[in-house]
Parts: sequence; C-alpha cells; structure tokens
Amino acid sequence: MKTAIKINDLTKTYKDVTAVDRLNLEIYEGELFSLLGVNGAGKTTTIKMLATLVKPTSGDANIFDYSILKDEEKIKDIIDISMQETAIARKLTVEENIDFYGRLSSQDKSKLNEIKKVIYEAFGFDIIAKKQASKLSGGWQRKLSIALALISKPKILFLDEPTLGLDVIARRELWKTINELKGKMTIILTTHYMEEAEALSDRIGIMKDGKLMFVGTKEELFSKTGKANVEDSFIEIVSGGKLS
Amino acid sequence: MKKSLSRIIILTKRDFKEILRDPLSLIFTLGMPLFMEVLFYLIFHKLTPQFEMKYLAPGIVVFAQSFIALFVGLLIAIDRSTSFLTRLYVSNAKSYEFIFSYALSMIPIIFVQSLLFFLVGGIIDSSIFSINMVFAILISIVTSLLFIAIGILLGSLCNAKSIGGISSIVIAGQSVLSGMWFPIEGLSEGMITFMNILPFRNATKLVQNTMNGINDVYEDFLIPLIIVLAYTIVSFILAIVVFKRKMKSN
Repeated sequence: MKTAIKINDLTKTYKDVTAVDRLNLEIYEGELFSLLGVNGAGKTTTIKMLATLVKPTSGDANIFDYSILKDEEKIKDIIDISMQETAIARKLTVEENIDFYGRLSSQDKSKLNEIKKVIYEAFGFDIIAKKQASKLSGGWQRKLSIALALISKPKILFLDEPTLGLDVIARRELWKTINELKGKMTIILTTHYMEEAEALSDRIGIMKDGKLMFVGTKEELFSKTGKANVEDSFIEIVSGGKLS
Repeated sequence: MKKSLSRIIILTKRDFKEILRDPLSLIFTLGMPLFMEVLFYLIFHKLTPQFEMKYLAPGIVVFAQSFIALFVGLLIAIDRSTSFLTRLYVSNAKSYEFIFSYALSMIPIIFVQSLLFFLVGGIIDSSIFSINMVFAILISIVTSLLFIAIGILLGSLCNAKSIGGISSIVIAGQSVLSGMWFPIEGLSEGMITFMNILPFRNATKLVQNTMNGINDVYEDFLIPLIIVLAYTIVSFILAIVVFKRKMKSN
C-alpha cells in the first residue's frame, strides 16, 4: 500500500502544555483512519498541523511528497478539511455556498458543474439547493459543511468530529455519505463516538495526552485488549484497565 | 497575482451578500440613521444651527458609518467562530485577501449611505444641493475606511458574543465625541482638545467642511484629513497583524 501521510516525531507544545508528543504514524492512500482520544488528547492539533494550519514545535510530516514545514501551498492544493464547527457561509444558499467554494478552489465552470452534479446526488441537495444555509437543520448544515470540503477534489480529507451534536438519524445519514467516500480519497477522521469509528474505520489510532497509544485495525485492537468492541477497547487502553 | 485578485473578488461578493441579507445591518446602517436625520431636523432645526441640514446630513453620514464597524466586525467574528475562515485558509486564500474583501464589500453600502442621506437632506432642504455634495460623498468614502479598519480589528480580537458590546463603544464614541448632536462651545478646553485628537470629530468635520465650503484649507481640511488618515492607517496595520495572528492561532 502506498503511504499518503508519514508523520515523524511530530510535536506541538503550547507554553508548558505538550499537545502532541513525538507522534510517529503512517497513513495509507485510500484508507479511512480514525484518530480517537478524550478531550485534549491532541487529535485536533494533529489534524491542524497536517493541514498546515498550525506550525509544529518540532518534527515533520510528509503528505505524499510534500513536507508540512516547507510545502504549505502545495499541500493545501491536495487536502481539504471539515472542522468540528459547521463552517459554511450562513446567508448564502446551498448552491451559492458550493459555487463560492468551488470558484475559490479555482475550479473552472464546467468542472465545477460536474462536481456539483456528483455532490448534489451524493448528498441529496436538489431539494434544498435554493435554501439559505442558516435556515437548514443542523444535519443539513453539517452535510453542506462536509460537501464543501469535497469540491476541491482533495486527495486527503480531514474530518474533525463530523457528526458532533447531530441526532441519530442525521448521524447515520452522514455515516452513509462518508462510507461512500471510502476508497476515493484518504480520510482522517477524529471522533468521540466509538460506534462511529467502529462503523467507518479501516484502521484506528488512539491518542492520550498527546501520545499515540495504539495503531491498528479493529481486529488488532480487539485482540490486544481482549474486548469485543471499540468503546470497551478504547476505555481499556486510555484508562490503563482501571475502568474495565 | 491574477489568482489573488480573482480570490479577492470572489470573497468580496460573498461578504457583500452576507451583509446585505442581514436585515439588521440594513436597519442600522440605513434605516435608523435616515429616521434620525428626518426626525432631528424636524424637531430641532429651528432651535439650533447644529441641526440645520447642511451640518446634520454630513454628520449623519459619518455617524451611520460607525455601524459599519459593528457589522464588518460581526461578520469576521462569526466567520472565525464557525471555523469558516479556517476552511478558506486551507483553500490557499491569504490573510490580506480576506482583509481586502471585507473592506471592499463595505464600499457599495457606504456609497449608498452617503448618497441616501445627502439626497434626502437635499429634498428636505434644497439649499444644500451643490457640487460640494459630490466632493462630500467622495471624502466620506475616505472617512469610512477608518470604521472599516476598526471593524476588522475588533472582529479579529472579539468573539461573536462580545463584538456587539465592544463595537457599541465605537458607535457611542462617534455619536458623543463627534460633537454633532450638541454645541461643543460650552465644553471645557480639555474636553475639546480630547475630541480634537480623536478621529471621530475630525471625520465629521471633514465631511461637514467639504460639504459647506472650505475657508482655511489647512484648518478645515488638511488637519482633520491627516488625523483621520493616521488613525485609519494605524488601525489597518493593527487589524492586519491581529487578523494574521488569530488566523494562525485559531
């Protein structure tokens, strides 16, 4: 398998807090990799460093052939990100949001129309295309937020807690959409929902206090912890067996 | 360069639509100042020269511009808090492109403000119609840059919840320290000096003097212009520095 992301001793410290501590990790092209951890484990900081939004204190990471330290612009051309907040232009319609972000991502008109067609079909935007984004339900807004990250046709997509705060139906709908993206691009997903990681991931990484505690498939995780699901396995690893 | 210009245009269009589709922004930047212009003229213009249309209309133009600081600041604060700016940053847009777009998107609104308040003023009191009105509209674009810069600075510093309260200080500052609502002759010398070294009174004087004819180029035009420009430049520099820092730390 070809390596999409190779992280070498990546570290980020804020004053006296080490958010990410000498992280070493390889993520393969086309896989969906879930990064799990409790609040403050360093998941979002890791994603922000990989997306060149935050400079590492030390270490480096390569996204395909590009270094996050030296090739910021080239990396931005092949990645996109959907943050845990719903990042949309609230007073624009769904269609205007997509047009706006498409043009900003330098897509020409015919290419953008093609992408729009695919996105409308995948997300079911036909019925809400003319609606102002602020008037949509939370689930639709989050779908739009994720759809915007696909317009630039990224090779790497970062999804930071994509279903945070959504009801169970909206969450399941988003899972379906994310599942359909699998294999088409490399996806790095952070989540607090263990069943989400279980349903979607090819491999899982568990972080605690900025350190990577485990990397592997679900089966490897279950075999390591002796548990039958991701949630119990996660608790076993993060609590060191104290809460099992 | 071409890509950058294209991104600025795309961002400007979006910012303009966001502001225009917010009914509150239209009420506060156009509706309320217009209502005040008509109301204050009708009630007070025979009582004090302060409210003659030749002073009131240019005063209202600058007063209404202070609301621009609130709405541009609010737009930036919301864009920051929803990670919308972070998303755009990943699309390779640069900080200076954002700042240009926020500023440029306000210019049409400012132009409409000036045109509306002067025209309505002229309809009420036709004696204010002259070529000077055109110059006053043009110079009001210059004074608006001050409020745009303050708005960008505040939007970069504050969050979406606090921006309203903080911006109201600027609006109150423009209202009280411009001296447009009351004769300042009765104030202490210290207070008048204080008002003269701040940009608010100078911005109002600049548009009022341009409208009513300049007798002393230095006193009536150059000094207020230099003071307003100095505050504008400093505010823009601070806005750029703070905006860039916040973009990185967000």
